[in-house]
Amino acid sequence: MIESNNKKKLDGVILMNDIKFTHDIMQEHEVERYFKIWRESVIRSRLTITAVFLKTANATQLNENVNDQVTSFLQSKIRKTDLLFQLSDGDHWGIFFLQSSDVEARAFLKRIFAILKAERKFQQIALKASITEIRNNNVIFEELLNKNKQMLSGDEQLTWSIAEVKDYCEQPTELVKVSIIEQNAIFRQVLESTLKQINIPYFSLDVKVYEDGYSFLQSDDYKSGHMHLILMNDILPLKNGLEILHILRHMPNEKKFIIYMMSERNSEGAALNAYEGGVDEYIVKPFNLRLLEAKIKRTFARFWQ
Amino acid sequence: MIKMTVSTLLGIISFLLVVLFIFLMYLLVQRQRESYFEKVRDRYLQNYSQLWYDYLFNNALFSIVLVPRGSAQVEAIEKIFSSYLKNIRNEQVELKIKQFSNQYLKAFYEKDLSSKRWSIRMNALYRIADLQIDELLTKCQEFEKNNITDEEHFQLLKIYSLFQPDLFMEKIKNSNVNYAESEYRRLFILLDDNVFIRFFHDFNSLSAKMQFAVIDTAAVKRNMEYLDELKKLLHHDTPEINIRALKGLYEIGIIDEMDPFIPFVTSEMWEARLMVAKIFKHVPLTYTYSYLKQLLQDENWWVRSQAAKTIVEDRHGIAKLQQFIESSNDQYAIEMAQEIAARKEGK
Repeated sequence: MIESNNKKKLDGVILMNDIKFTHDIMQEHEVERYFKIWRESVIRSRLTITAVFLKTANATQLNENVNDQVTSFLQSKIRKTDLLFQLSDGDHWGIFFLQSSDVEARAFLKRIFAILKAERKFQQIALKASITEIRNNNVIFEELLNKNKQMLSGDEQLTWSIAEVKDYCEQPTELVKVSIIEQNAIFRQVLESTLKQINIPYFSLDVKVYEDGYSFLQSDDYKSGHMHLILMNDILPLKNGLEILHILRHMPNEKKFIIYMMSERNSEGAALNAYEGGVDEYIVKPFNLRLLEAKIKRTFARFWQ
Repeated sequence: MIKMTVSTLLGIISFLLVVLFIFLMYLLVQRQRESYFEKVRDRYLQNYSQLWYDYLFNNALFSIVLVPRGSAQVEAIEKIFSSYLKNIRNEQVELKIKQFSNQYLKAFYEKDLSSKRWSIRMNALYRIADLQIDELLTKCQEFEKNNITDEEHFQLLKIYSLFQPDLFMEKIKNSNVNYAESEYRRLFILLDDNVFIRFFHDFNSLSAKMQFAVIDTAAVKRNMEYLDELKKLLHHDTPEINIRALKGLYEIGIIDEMDPFIPFVTSEMWEARLMVAKIFKHVPLTYTYSYLKQLLQDENWWVRSQAAKTIVEDRHGIAKLQQFIESSNDQYAIEMAQEIAARKEGK
């Protein structure tokens, strides 16, 4: 039966007959092109993709009806941002969850398994699954498929169980430029030491210090494409913090800047003005260094969800 | 014409040259001393800034090399401490600075308090307050008995407010110096809430400037504790105090009852009517509309404008203004309502 299905798919003439069978489901070769784009977005946009592969637990179960039922069931359960496709061998389904981690994929699988087990109309169906969280671009589509197929091929994996391929879950370490612009030399040194000691998983900080706004702008360091954390005072010699803020926020790639502004002015008006100008955090001096560290860590934690 | 022999002239020139030479030498020595002072200070900063950072923030052991030897090193330490205290909030660091200052810097500032130069004495007073050298409190009280300037007296009051609030309360009430409102505010803002609230208890014994400063400081501190105190002042005989109390209550922004404010809707002072129109921003329009409608027809432009702005802030504000425009006969009020509604819709 499986063999005949495969033959049908290869045969363009009788492809129309397959429409009912496949429910307009995308096929492996069609998905590969999209996958290549998403794979690059993983790094560029820091989007985690999670791939889920499903297979019927008992190969002899697979007939057209079961296949059809599984496909339509899966299609009814995925979100509009998820992509369901069928592998060319006809007995595996794949789902790509964009912007989702393995935690969400696992929750999804547990939910659908519970429904399949509970509802009488699905009593013929028994599935097993594997999850692969993708956080880097070292993954090749074919290799991803093979690893998951291999994971699902053995008899040792139990029905309704979820295996995991962990080969691509390690995200690369990203270089972040950090510029501290502060006139007071002693405090500047304190900030430098604090930021050099800070440990943020998957991000390495390249810290540079400037004593005034003009030397920062002259450095051209802010023109590179790296993510750039700027910790600056609102009042600075030569070019003040608000001027720098204005320049940075009017650059075409301004989104790469995370701007923390420090100020002695503890007024709502000053804070409002700074936020409207585009700062990400307005910190009133004197402040707790541990609090600054926590804020920075939280900012970076948001980048990979 | 003065007649002078060549030898006399030469004598005068020689004398002037000698004086000039001595003056030049004095300047050179002074410059030398100054540059040596700066060198010692900068060397200390360069060598020990990191040690200070480790001791204060990373709990490294205290090293005896950090103890200052001479005024240049004291100045370097002052720089380090003031940079930390101005920029970083950390109770543990503040305590370490206080302990160090009491132990190793006390003697320097004690000596400075006896200086003949006003600037040195003032600097010592500033540092005593900033570095929390409370062991010099008795010395400060002795210092007060000297013939001191108003600025020094102000700085002493600041020290008392930090180290002994009871003494501060006593001194400020009996002070002969009449400070500006802004100076009183600078002193009051430093006080703990439980000390500051005592000013309300004998409010009438304070000078007018102090009374105004107390009300304004309460508004800045934004503490719920001061709500009742400010409400009591709404019944005060002095109109200026009524207006300032209204302003303070508006700044705190918590209105728990309407009754104390309603008499001000018909107050003779337009400033009070303006403030009450502002205060009603913090109350739902259903409770305040009838009063705001009255204020919208006020004779004063500012009051009318504020009443319209307060109405328009509400979710149903524009509809209320439209309703008012259709039903009112007061052309000034209608124009104001139209202007504010149009401005809001324009947004």
